[in-house]
Amino acid sequence: MEIFILAFFALGYLVLAGADIGVGMALPYLGRSAAERREVIAAIAPFFLGNEVWLVATAGVLAGLFPELEGELLSGNYTVVVVLLLAWVVRDMGLWLRGRVPGARWQAFWDGAIVAGSWGLALSWGLLLGHVLLGITGPFAVLPALVVAALFGTHGMTFASLRLRGELRARAAVLSGGAGEARTYALTSAALVTVGVLAGLRLPLEPGSAGVVLVPVVLTLMPLLVAAQAWVWWTFRHRVTGPSYL
Amino acid sequence: MDTVDLARLQFAITAGAHFLFVALTLGLATLLAVVQTRATFGDSPVHLRMTRFWGQLYIINYAMGIVTGLVMEFQLGLSWSGLTEYAGDVFGSALAIETLVAFFVEATFLGLWIFGWNKLNRWAHLALIWVVTLTAYASAFWIMVANGFLQNPVGHVLEGGRMRLADFGAMVANPAAQVAFWHVVSAGMVVGGFFMAGVSAYHLRRRTAEQDVFRKSLRIGMGVALPAVFLTATFGGIGFETMQPAKLAAWSGDAERLAAAQAEMVAAHGPGDYLPPVGWVQASGTTMMLLFALMMFFAGLSCLLMLFRPVVRGFRLWHWLMTLMIPVPFLAMLAGWAFREFGRQPWTVYGLLKTSQAMSPVSAGQMRFSVVAFLTVFAVLIAVNYWLLARHARRGPAAVTLGDRPIEAPVPAPTF
Repeated sequence: MEIFILAFFALGYLVLAGADIGVGMALPYLGRSAAERREVIAAIAPFFLGNEVWLVATAGVLAGLFPELEGELLSGNYTVVVVLLLAWVVRDMGLWLRGRVPGARWQAFWDGAIVAGSWGLALSWGLLLGHVLLGITGPFAVLPALVVAALFGTHGMTFASLRLRGELRARAAVLSGGAGEARTYALTSAALVTVGVLAGLRLPLEPGSAGVVLVPVVLTLMPLLVAAQAWVWWTFRHRVTGPSYL
Repeated sequence: MDTVDLARLQFAITAGAHFLFVALTLGLATLLAVVQTRATFGDSPVHLRMTRFWGQLYIINYAMGIVTGLVMEFQLGLSWSGLTEYAGDVFGSALAIETLVAFFVEATFLGLWIFGWNKLNRWAHLALIWVVTLTAYASAFWIMVANGFLQNPVGHVLEGGRMRLADFGAMVANPAAQVAFWHVVSAGMVVGGFFMAGVSAYHLRRRTAEQDVFRKSLRIGMGVALPAVFLTATFGGIGFETMQPAKLAAWSGDAERLAAAQAEMVAAHGPGDYLPPVGWVQASGTTMMLLFALMMFFAGLSCLLMLFRPVVRGFRLWHWLMTLMIPVPFLAMLAGWAFREFGRQPWTVYGLLKTSQAMSPVSAGQMRFSVVAFLTVFAVLIAVNYWLLARHARRGPAAVTLGDRPIEAPVPAPTF
């Protein structure tokens, strides 16, 4: 049951927040002007906060149910995890700050932070997953990292095509082609889940001893957490019609 | 500096940066929820303007709180795997519950609150800010349970060199956690109250528009700050009852008590230096208490002065001082935190696991890289964030973009 809980939050993160990462990576391609970029960001704006906390929850589940693995995994991949966190911070601050001051240079700077942070996130996830899954370190680790980054990018573009309209939607749909947006999204989600599951199977998933107390608590909470998130998905189910607060 | 000191510095940078922003989050969220309740129940336009103005400052501040919080959640596993391995089966459950009950729910509902403005039913929107506020408290609660365990480990048994959770209730009811929780949330109200009053005083002094908004806000801010200062001090005082003997000895500076604390530890754990850095403990404790005295006098006097409307409108020296007071509660919070944590050294889990044993097997080069990287990024972002907070505070309610129009007006084109 401990493994199911860990998988639930980790895979949920990859699928949900993976789309935000991909949209950030593709921001210069999707949004050619400042106004377009703002509209592209509106595609992920209401979701990114609720999506990224799936990874926070994953960290919490690791700390509570797999404390030994938590230490091994994070300190064993120290530099990659530090870069991942820094990229995450930079991407988030880009999102939060870009709209707070009017001015082309301010917004261009923080848009740059969003793009750099998203690429940093995708590549460091690639390095981490590549190391866990294939045991590759050194210069060749770049290859699986690029594959994972491409997967995040495709996933994000497909999510953007589901959320945007008109010209922006057409640009985002370039990779889905005739397959249909929803079907491509299902496909990229499945690919991310597969990578996540395979990497998870390579980890020493030995739960600690706190599960007796913690597992029932978490299982009780899970439907409530999903319901809270479902409220967000339902509220913002429509296509973007204009800029958001960000 | 050796690697352990660098790791401690890195944790301190992250926790300190986080604490600066979440302290204001705790206080401001509460005040915001109260103001929005007035706005919603009374259908009051002035309270709605207050909600939007303070709400925007709250969000700018929250952004920095969340990004430092993300890094916090990973710090233990990154640099302190000795601790997670040894004690993770016990205090890790508090951290797990914190991420799920508090962090996860808070972020999900805050997203709805921000982007659902003018889109959701106004009662649902009001409920959201209350959930966000309560989960901020829940977050503080579970973090203090985890910290309280490190200060005063209870509810565990030792099995084969690792801890196991034996009594979850005892860990939660730990006096070192409970008292500190009330101390910290009251201090958060002091921070929020002084912030609200100080920003309002700026606008009253400059005679900007929206006098009504800022007269009301000044009264709310100071009216909350004064009782909160007393509550903070009360729980701080009770906190001394739960304090480790070595920390108390360091605080007193008394040579005999220090020698006694050292001798007791040597008897229990063998030879070694078991005393916290006396200078740091005394300096941080003294700073906290002096700033407390300053805040108590200032808030007490201000609560008398604000009974008189002409004073609230026109006493510019007082306005100026009140704005100058904004950083004081922040400094007191940081000093109090330093007092608590320096005083626990050289232990990570008091009396059980030393800080030098808690560290991950990470090289000095890796640690130097990450300390410099986190320090640089946080320093820049903190500077930018404070500049932005000041800018938005100065510009007043007229310039607020939060909730000024329906965001993403609904059209009949469902995505999924």
